[in-house]
Amino acid sequence: MKFYLASVIFFAFVCNTVSAAPTGRIFVTNERGDSVSVINGTSLAVEATIDVGERPRGIGLSPDGSELYVAVSEENKIKVIDPASLKILREFEAGSDPETFAVHPNGNIYISNEDDAKASVFDPKTGEQIAEIHVGLEPEGVAISPDGKRVIVTSESTNMLHVIKASDNTIEKNILVGSRPRAATFTQSGDIAFATAEISGEVVKVDMNTGEILKTGSTGDSKSKPKDVVLNKDESVIYVAGGRANKVVVMDAETLEIITGIPVGKRVWGLAISKNGEQVFSTDGVSGTVSVINTSKNEVIKTVEVGKFPWGVVIND
Amino acid sequence: MLKNYIVKIKTAFITMLLASNIAFAEDVEVKFAYIGQKDNSALLGAQQGLSEANLQGQFLNQKYDLDIISIEDAGTHDFSNYIAVLSTVDTDTYTNFADTLPNVAVFNLSIKDDGLRTACIKNALHIIPSNTMETDAKNQWQKKKPGSIVNAQAWHPDFVKFAARDLNKRFKKSHKISMDDNSWAGWAAVKMTSDAVARAKISDPAKMLHYLKTEIAFDGQKGIVMNFRETGQLRQPILLVEDNKIVAEAPVRGIAKPPTLDSLGILTCEK
Repeated sequence: MKFYLASVIFFAFVCNTVSAAPTGRIFVTNERGDSVSVINGTSLAVEATIDVGERPRGIGLSPDGSELYVAVSEENKIKVIDPASLKILREFEAGSDPETFAVHPNGNIYISNEDDAKASVFDPKTGEQIAEIHVGLEPEGVAISPDGKRVIVTSESTNMLHVIKASDNTIEKNILVGSRPRAATFTQSGDIAFATAEISGEVVKVDMNTGEILKTGSTGDSKSKPKDVVLNKDESVIYVAGGRANKVVVMDAETLEIITGIPVGKRVWGLAISKNGEQVFSTDGVSGTVSVINTSKNEVIKTVEVGKFPWGVVIND
Repeated sequence: MLKNYIVKIKTAFITMLLASNIAFAEDVEVKFAYIGQKDNSALLGAQQGLSEANLQGQFLNQKYDLDIISIEDAGTHDFSNYIAVLSTVDTDTYTNFADTLPNVAVFNLSIKDDGLRTACIKNALHIIPSNTMETDAKNQWQKKKPGSIVNAQAWHPDFVKFAARDLNKRFKKSHKISMDDNSWAGWAAVKMTSDAVARAKISDPAKMLHYLKTEIAFDGQKGIVMNFRETGQLRQPILLVEDNKIVAEAPVRGIAKPPTLDSLGILTCEK
């Protein structure tokens, strides 16, 4: 009997581990292709394309990597996909015009509703809305600190980073930054955040405990309209999607000085970095490609053709 | 009243220094004046800008308000409490009015007259593009596509790029009509002023005028940072419209010479 029970537990454990094993795939939303491209992490070739509905933009994974979430803006829905079988498992209403979102370590989804000047919190298991937070106009980027304490929602037309306390979903502070803040990312400790401002062409580095802007750096030429930002593994550099400058700008995380610009496809918006820190993937909207950057050389090692207007990218690693 | 207001701001400033860039510590009230006809769409734009300024203001303890003053009452009205004045009047009324308030920004939301630009009135800020700006924009398009007849506009309800779609949607939702050139101008005047209040903590009208003329980097949802010329004219892209459809934006790519925004309109004063 004891042996039987132990076997059951062991079996359950194995199953659980197997079902959550990362696929190594890279998932890309194609805003005008109404699809998600699935890139094989080893061959770096597209192995499947999933039709998801009109205008997919934000994309993310559950904390254990077992579910893929896609914000389908025109349908006001989030669709839940199995990253292994690539089947759409279920969907739920996600408020008006869902755009960008981030997944909290507790599994909840924080999403910006661009039309409504608010952010909403959903439990993707039930599809229930847990909270609604009023923020500035045209909320866009969402970032969550690794410890789950804080959430940043950027509002593009109000030019703010709204810092939300995740414990009760209230606004803790509002930080004015440059014109059109688009995206943000936290350091591992959660003490520092980096945010991009599209129209002023800037990156700001913010002390999350005081709200103080520690540094402001320019992303270079006037065409660069920065969007996504990611930190490398040792947190020494940031990678910034340079928009119409058609490059990924690499900046020193301490000084915010430009180290180099990596030429990629046209109108680069989305970025993701692998867990081991070795690769950065960029979505090049107008070119319809994803560029794969080797971070030790800071150069593109492969360009992958995906759907129309690739927007968001996430890695199941 | 005004003194009290200034003291309030000063206190807020000191607290600001301590509290860094979080917000004004105390409530700040900012008032605009609008002179002109009530049925001008510029007023609806200004009201849109005001509601957006208040949305931002709720996070910064700033409140915005707008007084509507008829042209007849403007002569006797006390304008000392306003951060800036918005107007849709005729050229003569505008010139006279700007002259009586030399240290306050007087926004022109409707007059396209080039003479008003070359006159370089110190406190005049022209949001609406001048006639020459529109002609230059159309000529650039003619060079690229000869024979094509287009209209030049500051704004269009079908404009979607640079989050223009969002502004058009918000405006239509609030006012049930489409955003046109004048309403965009009204919105822009309030937005750039409230941005300056939020960002530079300016509450004094003279300082506001100086800041607007020399320091702004305004995001008017046309995809490029905008500022003012010496003439008081706002540098801005212009939309080229054929059969009520947007066909291009001026400065026209490949035709306009850099600095491209200055390929539209008159740059200098009549000395």
